[in-house]
Amino acid sequence: MGCAASVPDKSSGRSGGLNNLENGGPPDAKNLRVKLVLLGDSGVGKSCIVLRFVRGQFDPTSKVTVGASFLSQTIALQDSTTVKFEIWDTAGQERYAALAPLYYRGAAVAVIVYDITSPESFTKAQYWVKELQKHGSPDIVMALVGNKADLQDSREVPAQDGIDYAEKNGMFFIETSAKTADNINQLFQEIAKRLPRPSVPDS
Amino acid sequence: MSTSSSSSISSDDEPNSNPNPIDDELSLASVTLNESNGNGSVNVNENENENNRQDGGEITWGRKNSEVEVEAPSSPSSSGYAGERGSSETTNSRIEDDEIQQVNNDDGFVDEVNHSRASSWVPGKRHVDEDDASISWRKRKKHFFILSNSGKPIYSRYGDEHKLAGFSATLQAIISFVENEGDHVKLVRAGNHQVVFLVKGPIYLVCISCTEEPYESLKGQLELIYGQMILILTKSLNRCFEKNPKFDMTPLLGGTDVVFSSLIHSFSWNPATFLHAYTCLPLAYATRQAAGAILQDVAESGVLFALLMCKNKVISLVGAQKASLHPDDMLLLSNFVMSSESFRTSECFSPICLPRYNPMAFLYAYVHYFDDDTYLMLLTTSSDAFYHLKDCRIRIEMVLLKSNVLSEVQRSLLEGGMRVEDLPLDPLPRSSISHRMSQQRLLTDSPERFRESSVGIGGPAGLWNFIYRSIYMDQYVSSEFSSPINSHQQQKRLYRAYQKLYSSMHEKGIGPHRTQFRRDENYVLLCWVTPDFELYAAFDPLADKALAIKTCNRVCQWVKDVENEIFLQGASPFSCATDKTEFAVLMLESYL
Repeated sequence: MGCAASVPDKSSGRSGGLNNLENGGPPDAKNLRVKLVLLGDSGVGKSCIVLRFVRGQFDPTSKVTVGASFLSQTIALQDSTTVKFEIWDTAGQERYAALAPLYYRGAAVAVIVYDITSPESFTKAQYWVKELQKHGSPDIVMALVGNKADLQDSREVPAQDGIDYAEKNGMFFIETSAKTADNINQLFQEIAKRLPRPSVPDS
Repeated sequence: MSTSSSSSISSDDEPNSNPNPIDDELSLASVTLNESNGNGSVNVNENENENNRQDGGEITWGRKNSEVEVEAPSSPSSSGYAGERGSSETTNSRIEDDEIQQVNNDDGFVDEVNHSRASSWVPGKRHVDEDDASISWRKRKKHFFILSNSGKPIYSRYGDEHKLAGFSATLQAIISFVENEGDHVKLVRAGNHQVVFLVKGPIYLVCISCTEEPYESLKGQLELIYGQMILILTKSLNRCFEKNPKFDMTPLLGGTDVVFSSLIHSFSWNPATFLHAYTCLPLAYATRQAAGAILQDVAESGVLFALLMCKNKVISLVGAQKASLHPDDMLLLSNFVMSSESFRTSECFSPICLPRYNPMAFLYAYVHYFDDDTYLMLLTTSSDAFYHLKDCRIRIEMVLLKSNVLSEVQRSLLEGGMRVEDLPLDPLPRSSISHRMSQQRLLTDSPERFRESSVGIGGPAGLWNFIYRSIYMDQYVSSEFSSPINSHQQQKRLYRAYQKLYSSMHEKGIGPHRTQFRRDENYVLLCWVTPDFELYAAFDPLADKALAIKTCNRVCQWVKDVENEIFLQGASPFSCATDKTEFAVLMLESYL
């Protein structure tokens, strides 16, 4: 078993989309390459999470993502495995919704983000979960992320709602704050731990 | 923006205020088509053009190819474009009319005064709290609206679209009223205000302006706004309206306010918006060639268009095989990329549509910024080409670094383009064409420097600025702004004067004109149109006519001498016009 991005399957015509099929090389259990896609309503902080994770920055001025941005970041796990995340940070605007398959096709990980102060964004997150269950890779690792956890006073989505929904759908759940950097690294560490490892390198 | 400050600034800047007494203005700025119809007293004067201005509001719409003017009675509505409020607001119209009057007294430079005073323009939508009931909203000098044919607001330059639903419905009513008569409304004049309409299938675009720009210019601006929307959504948006006429399009344009506001801002500083041509960053021929060669290389590997740009200026561009890029598409694309901050953060892959190339289909754009100003755009038809384009970019970046293109670009950006002060005294000998412009600039310190400029400051013979547009190359070059055209207001005013000149030279039915010499209290404007190029030049208002003509000939010769550095050669199949340009040079005297 393998995941589409870390174990490129050149014979598979199904995946298509934005998958880096050319530079795959032989699968390596110690150095994983993983395609990760972030989905969620506009303004929930997807880009902020990525920029906090990749560059350690936080820019409070909102910069609307156009199409999708591509960034990558490698992390090392305690078992001396490295995981290189190739991250597609998608635009949350409605006009790009139809293009989402372009970015999530073949993704090994989907991070679905909502804003804990916005119930609408939580509803939108559930839409994305269903969409991925229908059209995503069958063995995709999904994480549900409640962002803006620093805004406790304006919270409108109880943490328990997130926990319950994630549990029901076999997802990993975490609340983060890109602003304070709370739980950002943990999010990616946890994802890395949950990745299916290629057990037998096929060459 | 506070009422008192903007008015006082405008009257300082604009001593030539409208001489009409206030009472005349009140009756002038007061037409709505609904009411004129309701009164049953619309007179159609097919033969009287331009005669009605002093009589009251007038409505002009196109009937087939001719323009028809309709004299309409004054209505009690206050601002001339607050149609739906109609007579219900007569009680407070007095105050508002005074407010509007103050605005009408200057000639179009209020709306960005406060922002430009604060040095630089701020992107994004402003004054979202306003709606059509706000006095400040009514005072804005130039409104742009996009609405659907069912009257749903899609975009408004000022104010919240949703709060403007009633106003949008009124605009829609005006358009459909005329359409029901089997006609199309193009323009309504109401006092100092022009209301320009553009219908694009289910999309209506409206500009309400008191900037005195020509109808053709405002219509061109609406066309660009429509093109910008198509670039974001493609023309397939029409299908949404076929399925559901009441479709609300605002969510589809979410987050694009900055794109539109930056386009609208460019109407006042970027000549590409009315010249329909692009401009290049001045670079040594070899430098541009090096950039072009690597772009050509990647274009052959399945890239449809490869563009390397610095701000709004082209460094080099290449199209695959026979694909050619329309200058308006380049303008809209670079506006889209430059106004969307996220492109600067990291490499992006985004669907975009080039309205002039194929308005129905998305292309995919790979965008990468090499530095703060310089960016690469690779366009492809293939939605999964990202990694290939990323590899292309890495190859391009290596070549650009190796051949110092990026540092040359930064240098050129610092040095700026052609300056009127540097206009050479004598045409350079043929052998020195390959000299860099910067070398020429050294000439300005030599004793031979042209010193005829006894009037005013700027270049020789009082030359303040010029724009040269090469017709075959689809390119233009404009001189840098220099004293005394220093402030944004002055630059904007000059561009509006150029725009007026441009549209008067291209007026259908009257033209084509070859030359125009116009003197007013602000400038001497000289325009020269040949089949190969157009020259627009602004001089000190006291400039001598014969000297100005001589200077224009020099400018043409100068452009010709440095054309390898200021134009992208070989980008268009027709770019062999060089010799014709030379033929035309030195013939201006014979026309004037």
